[in-house]
Amino acid sequence: MGLRWYHFALWAGFIILMYAMPDLVSKGTLRTFIFANFLAIFAISWDVLSGRTGYISFGHPFLIGIGAYTTAILTKRFDVAIEISIPIAVVVTMIGSTLFILPALRIRGSYFALVTLAFMELIYQLVQVIRPDLTGGTRGMSGIETLTRGAVNGYYMSLSLMLAVAISMWLLMRTRVGTALSAIGMNEDSVQGSGLSTTRLKLFAFLTGAFVAGLGGAFYVHYLGSIAPRALFDINFVFTIIVAALIGGSSTIIGPMVGAFFLTYLLEYLRPFLPGAERYFIYGGIALIIYIYQPKGIYAVVMQAWERLRSGKSA
Amino acid sequence: MTVLRNSAALLGAMALMATAASAEIKVGFIGSLSSDTGLSTLRGAEMAIDELNASGGVLGQQIVLVKADTGEDVTEGVKAYEFLAETEEVDFIISGSIDDVSLGWMPRMQEFQIPTLDTWTSYVGIIDMIVEDYDSMRPYFMNIASDEALATLYIDFGKDVLKEKMGWDSVIILAEDTAFGGALTGLVTEALAPNAGIEVVDIISYDITTNDFAPLFAKAEASGADFIYLVSSVNSQVVSSQYVKLQVPMGMTGVNVAALGQEFWEDTGGAGGGISTLSPVPSIGFALDPVNAAFLERYQARYDTRPSVPHFNGYNAYHGLKQAMAAAEEAGGFELDAWVPAMEKQDSVFKKDGEMWLRWGWWGNDEIEPRTGRTYPHNVRFDITEPYDDGAPSMVVIQWYEDGTNAVVYPDKFKTGEFVLPSWVKK
Repeated sequence: MGLRWYHFALWAGFIILMYAMPDLVSKGTLRTFIFANFLAIFAISWDVLSGRTGYISFGHPFLIGIGAYTTAILTKRFDVAIEISIPIAVVVTMIGSTLFILPALRIRGSYFALVTLAFMELIYQLVQVIRPDLTGGTRGMSGIETLTRGAVNGYYMSLSLMLAVAISMWLLMRTRVGTALSAIGMNEDSVQGSGLSTTRLKLFAFLTGAFVAGLGGAFYVHYLGSIAPRALFDINFVFTIIVAALIGGSSTIIGPMVGAFFLTYLLEYLRPFLPGAERYFIYGGIALIIYIYQPKGIYAVVMQAWERLRSGKSA
Repeated sequence: MTVLRNSAALLGAMALMATAASAEIKVGFIGSLSSDTGLSTLRGAEMAIDELNASGGVLGQQIVLVKADTGEDVTEGVKAYEFLAETEEVDFIISGSIDDVSLGWMPRMQEFQIPTLDTWTSYVGIIDMIVEDYDSMRPYFMNIASDEALATLYIDFGKDVLKEKMGWDSVIILAEDTAFGGALTGLVTEALAPNAGIEVVDIISYDITTNDFAPLFAKAEASGADFIYLVSSVNSQVVSSQYVKLQVPMGMTGVNVAALGQEFWEDTGGAGGGISTLSPVPSIGFALDPVNAAFLERYQARYDTRPSVPHFNGYNAYHGLKQAMAAAEEAGGFELDAWVPAMEKQDSVFKKDGEMWLRWGWWGNDEIEPRTGRTYPHNVRFDITEPYDDGAPSMVVIQWYEDGTNAVVYPDKFKTGEFVLPSWVKK
């Protein structure tokens, strides 16, 4: 797996810093961290599915939404306990992800992206018209049971989940399976030619991505306490997830995390100065500059700087 | 020594200034900063705050306004509420949010327990939440009539005007393919039409990106229905202007969101004559009492960008914010045990020619509205029964005429014009 001592040291340092955060920042800032943590989870799950294999999904909220709606309906309408509803939601999301597999066996590239976008649009329409007594229809549902109250508790909950997901995925991607998934993204035919089953590998990637998306979606709705179709099945939500993964650096675990924190904080820190939509111009401009400078994202910028520093020292 | 003394004096002065700066009442605005409806609430609140500050503020302190944009996005609404509550630590929140955005931040309102006034959302489900869980919902007030009350009065319009006055027996529904369109189509097919004795001949659902309505109007005409019932919230000016330009030979009424604003005529390029829609009060074309007429005059003198006439929620924000601050004066602050009962007692009645005209008061928590047979705690006190002497009507129907003017055409007590067919439609 190529693990080194400094990997663990860096993770440990990061974990200690993050858990100390409630003593260092205000509650308002912690709330921003919570959204950043959830966005990081969604970006990681997208990256596992799309960043690695090259099968770009525009329908990721389809998976997040299945997880979120399943647990919301079970707890709100049927009084199922959260500790039961969340695992069910994750399983249902994984089953739902198999719908992605079918087109992935035949098409790829922009065609696959459009099909996944269609899935999101489909579920957006369905939750509004099919059994609105369960889904809450167009207005969605409010008053869903929450797991925590207060910024500090919400922060610890989202952070723990994000770290568990990030470290698990980091370890998984360092295995041979992770390497094979990345190889699919580079050249699927070569992977097939080497005797590996790309169908099984893709199924594994999609199920893993769906597991994380379903888990994240379920916890997200029990943090928010509300759910609405417009909030989840929205093209802006898709782009936020994809941009977080790409701006941070796809095919890495740290990259989507960095991207999620960067995006969330950029928008929230601009809010007091630019309360309206002007914030998004700044956000778009900065994202554009980063892409032009380094298409592989912030992670690559940092690694380049580190390499320059090291080579400078050794020279 | 002198330097030290001066420095100490300077530090002391700075500390005093800091204390003075923190001694202020913070009001948070949550809503869209880029829509006419959001801006209506914001401007109504700004005007109320400026007037209160000019007369000495509240509790001896000046009021400052902090804005948080939702962009009409549900998740942004949650973030905006958290920003106001935890970063800005506001005392009171005024909202110009739409239904799902309000429902999105509602758990945060329940968590932070900040006094909150909604001026735009009319979803009766939120009033149900107050009925079911008063303790956690008590900081919340909604000073627009809930949609159930609005629908009840609208059914009367179907009976009194569409059926009795116009003599229409059949309708074809032309509804946009959105959740809003679906919900309103349900209201017409299940409540309005059966109660008014009007037959629904067909339902045409159209995509919101539709640019050419000629084939749809041709289908409506071929159906043999007496009139078209339009349900449109997105780009309503497109379908409206094509109805006029194509001179569709049958009447059309319904719910047309673009027609709620004074800019409708401009937005349709002058092709909006004959269009009618329901609207909460006070709407455009509504004859205002002297106090609210003076408010409108001051509004127009102050703002030179759209909306040139505030939507109903602008009035709601203006009066609601003043009531919230009056309740704070009475309660000695915003502590809920004292502020909520003081707010529940607020009642601003505006008369016109000696008659009840507009009212911003509240239903008693256990008081039953006689017609719907249910309670409406923390909902504005509306009246849905003639002669409307207990409150303002929950809605009116407005119509645009071919000369670019508009008027209220229903209920009779408030009408400033007649419901008429466009000139090209044969009776």
